[in-house]
Amino acid sequence: MSTLRAEARIALAVARKDALAELRGRHATVSTLFFAAVVLLLFGLALGPDAARLAAAAPGLLWLAVVFAGILAVNRLHLLETDDGALEQLALYPVARRAIYVGKALGGFAVMLLLGVLVLGAVGVLFAVDVAKAWLPLLVTVVLGAAGVAAVGTFYAGVTVRLRAREAMLPLLMLPVLAPLLLGAVKASAAALAGDPFDELGAWLQLLVAFDVIMIVAGMATYGYLLEDG
Amino acid sequence: MPQTTIYVSPRSLGAPDTRPPAVATTDLARLFAGNPALAGISLRVEAGRTVALLGPNGAGKTTLLRLLCTAIRPSYGRASVDGLDLDRQAALVRERVAYLSHATGLYDDLSARENLRFAAAMLGTPDAAGRVDRALADVGLASRADDRVRDFSAGMRKRLALGRILLGSASLVLLDEPYAALDNDGMSLVDQLLVAWREVGVTVLVASHSTGRFEALLDGRVTLERGLVVDASGKGVESTPPPLPGDPRPSVVEVAR
Repeated sequence: MSTLRAEARIALAVARKDALAELRGRHATVSTLFFAAVVLLLFGLALGPDAARLAAAAPGLLWLAVVFAGILAVNRLHLLETDDGALEQLALYPVARRAIYVGKALGGFAVMLLLGVLVLGAVGVLFAVDVAKAWLPLLVTVVLGAAGVAAVGTFYAGVTVRLRAREAMLPLLMLPVLAPLLLGAVKASAAALAGDPFDELGAWLQLLVAFDVIMIVAGMATYGYLLEDG
Repeated sequence: MPQTTIYVSPRSLGAPDTRPPAVATTDLARLFAGNPALAGISLRVEAGRTVALLGPNGAGKTTLLRLLCTAIRPSYGRASVDGLDLDRQAALVRERVAYLSHATGLYDDLSARENLRFAAAMLGTPDAAGRVDRALADVGLASRADDRVRDFSAGMRKRLALGRILLGSASLVLLDEPYAALDNDGMSLVDQLLVAWREVGVTVLVASHSTGRFEALLDGRVTLERGLVVDASGKGVESTPPPLPGDPRPSVVEVAR
């Protein structure tokens, strides 16, 4: 139990450090929010003014914007560690490396959650979708989706952080892995907005929970190897 | 200005002669893209000694320090710190080693105090707030404690990185060119640290091009050239020479080729 508590303290210290740096520099949030807004606007323009079509496409657009912007966010959060050898120093601390992963993922989750909630609101306004009527299942979907993107993104940002072509490699690695999450989150959001007529919402949320658990456990088990420098 | 007495907090260290060697390597080698940066060194440093690692650029000094702090893994050979195997007991080694590298490992967007508080949390420093304040005062940065590190000079960053070492309880301190970028006060700070660590039995390896400034503070010297030890002298330092031509043991460089 004391080990668990110690690792929780380490994870919180890492998350707090990332949050402080983000509050100062706003590297992840500002650029990501603008990017998500631009994605939504461009998709809206591409689909045309048909209100019914926009409303039908809203769940897909919501999650495409969240996932695309999320990739940017986790990349930016990991770039903090490229400050003057910070990643190497992080790896040299005498702590369980899974705790570092959890801390980085917590920081990513906080940014993703903020992003998800704001994009959800923007979808409601831009595409005339009544998100308020299904706010609770939508919020649960956003929480689970944010956790999944943060879990996967933290791992793959760790893979690519030392690469020169990290901005190009990160989406290539992340997007295929995020396909089940994208499917589950879009289906869950669509079911929630439609009032869940086929009683399928629970199944899609269960898929998201399973995805999150698998990705978090895999990330905790393997992130330590990413901190090794050969 | 640093205070007269610097607070260092080593783990409970016994008398140096009762402790295992602080550093023991056997044919330790590290290759980068097939080229040996360290070409098989067998070195032993007694606990509690202050030892200079000397040699020209590319001699292997930094590679040796990075291997000993577990930042990189050996390509061949074995090494231990305080009797703990670098490969199999890396996590325990990290509890005992502090490393000052060319890169300071600081976060630009955090203040000096926030950087040290994060380090204290990661190192499990007891009474973290008080120790952070003390470390900031010891390295002469108390008046800049709440300024962002982004605005610090190279010398101030190095002082802060030294302050981070003061928060831990390392029994082996590895310093890579500690005097570089420091002004006279900063260089005096490093001198004081070397004295303080020696007094409490901490082993210190200092990589440098020359010993001019800290000659009097040294127990031993190890000179590296092209990844090999060419001279080891002074107290508490031993090195076994690499195989000579005709020796039946293959050298690491030969194996690598």
